[in-house]
Amino acid sequence: NISDFSLNITDCTQVVVPEEVFFTVAAAGILENLLILIAVVRNKNLHLPMYFFICSLAISDMLGSLYKTLENIFIILCKMGYLTRHGDFEKKLDDAMDSMFILSLLGSIFSLLAIAADRYITIFYALRYHNIMTLRRALVILAVIWTFCAGSSVAIALFSYEAATVIPFTVLFPLMMFFILCLYVHMFLLARSHAKKIASLPTSTVQHRTNMKGAITLTIFLGVFLCCWAPFVLHILLARFCPHNPYCACYMSIFHVNGTLIMCNAIIDPMIFAFRSPELRSTFKKMFYCSR
Amino acid sequence: MSALRLISNRTSQQALSNSDYTWDYEYYEYGPVSFEGLKAHKYSIVIGFWVGLAVFVIFMFFVLTLLTKTGAPPHQDNTETSEKRFRMNSFVADFGRPLESERVFSHQMTEESQSLFHFCINEVDYTNKAKVSQKGPSLESNTHFQEVPRSSGVFEEDLHCLTKFNIPNFVNTEQNSSLGEDELLISEPPIILESKLVMQSSHRILD
Repeated sequence: NISDFSLNITDCTQVVVPEEVFFTVAAAGILENLLILIAVVRNKNLHLPMYFFICSLAISDMLGSLYKTLENIFIILCKMGYLTRHGDFEKKLDDAMDSMFILSLLGSIFSLLAIAADRYITIFYALRYHNIMTLRRALVILAVIWTFCAGSSVAIALFSYEAATVIPFTVLFPLMMFFILCLYVHMFLLARSHAKKIASLPTSTVQHRTNMKGAITLTIFLGVFLCCWAPFVLHILLARFCPHNPYCACYMSIFHVNGTLIMCNAIIDPMIFAFRSPELRSTFKKMFYCSR
Repeated sequence: MSALRLISNRTSQQALSNSDYTWDYEYYEYGPVSFEGLKAHKYSIVIGFWVGLAVFVIFMFFVLTLLTKTGAPPHQDNTETSEKRFRMNSFVADFGRPLESERVFSHQMTEESQSLFHFCINEVDYTNKAKVSQKGPSLESNTHFQEVPRSSGVFEEDLHCLTKFNIPNFVNTEQNSSLGEDELLISEPPIILESKLVMQSSHRILD
């Protein structure tokens, strides 16, 4: 229903992303993450806590892209008239898909946290890593994380109009980011002192380029996550607190661009996490060469 | 999206419009929103948000880069014993983003399809930082990472790695660190930290 109010010409109209772009980006994200899952499952060498956490990230990315795809499909079906717009079934479906999306966001955050914690333990508790992070514990951690995320997502989706759910949700996001940043900065400092020691050796020719690379890598990690998810989180905040303010309304008109950004995150994340492992890359090569 | 339902609930509760629950691209109905008399540009939140985000990311990058330049000078070693070895390795923590494929052990790197980075971890004791004031390598918190690239049939190297159970002074941020210069296997400078530190340790060697 498009309401026929007297619209100003200066109104912020919805910025629409073409459906082809939408579906392409979503499909690419789903495929990429599916490949990672298949590769980890098939290669026994990759049955390690570290790769399980990367798989968890891949699953949450896949859920995000899947959500967007399904939503688009349903909107198209609605437009074509196969589904009514006001039905009960559609509302329940919308509820389910909302919770899937929030599950994806929470899953992403917690997976990143798990990956950062795993790397932290790897570096600072190197020899005891095997005892601290056994496979069983990693699976238990993942089960706990996903149960918590599922519960929260259902609760948030059901009570999305309550301020009590929106505020913790939006506070959780920067908190986690900050915590992950602290973990990585500590690791980074360690790497830097390491580099300095090597530089002090007479036979070494360490360049500063390395630490610059470390800075670049870390910035890419967190920058990508921030740029892809923060717009949407801000959207939720604004939708809750100032939906009728013209400035807020203009921000909310780019909702579809924000959704596309989230799907881009699903494409970029494997590149900066999973594909940097040589073992995973070699597994891919084998998979593709064998299929020929 | 939940935001969609937010708007619908709100508008229907306030009876400002006759919009029902619609599931459509036209999510938001701007009817009740008046765009007249705006002081600032209407997209000011969008622009402000993205500019703020970009500034934050760049700031973070500069802070990290600054961290690489400043900091404590390298600690000179006090006592060098033969036990202190220092081996370089591609100590996996994803910090050196290899735009090209950089390996530390370039002269030992065999990129086979089955190759894994093999780490012999010799850790003396990772104590608290409070204990660092004592001199003497045996009490320091050090982790030593030796990397032996595992290629097929390089079993001798693995054994070699195992026998070199030495006390390294490596990764620590404390005062007393001594570096041994006996064997520096690193031929290339960059310290690539990747936290894909696969602890395929001795049991794998012995398999």
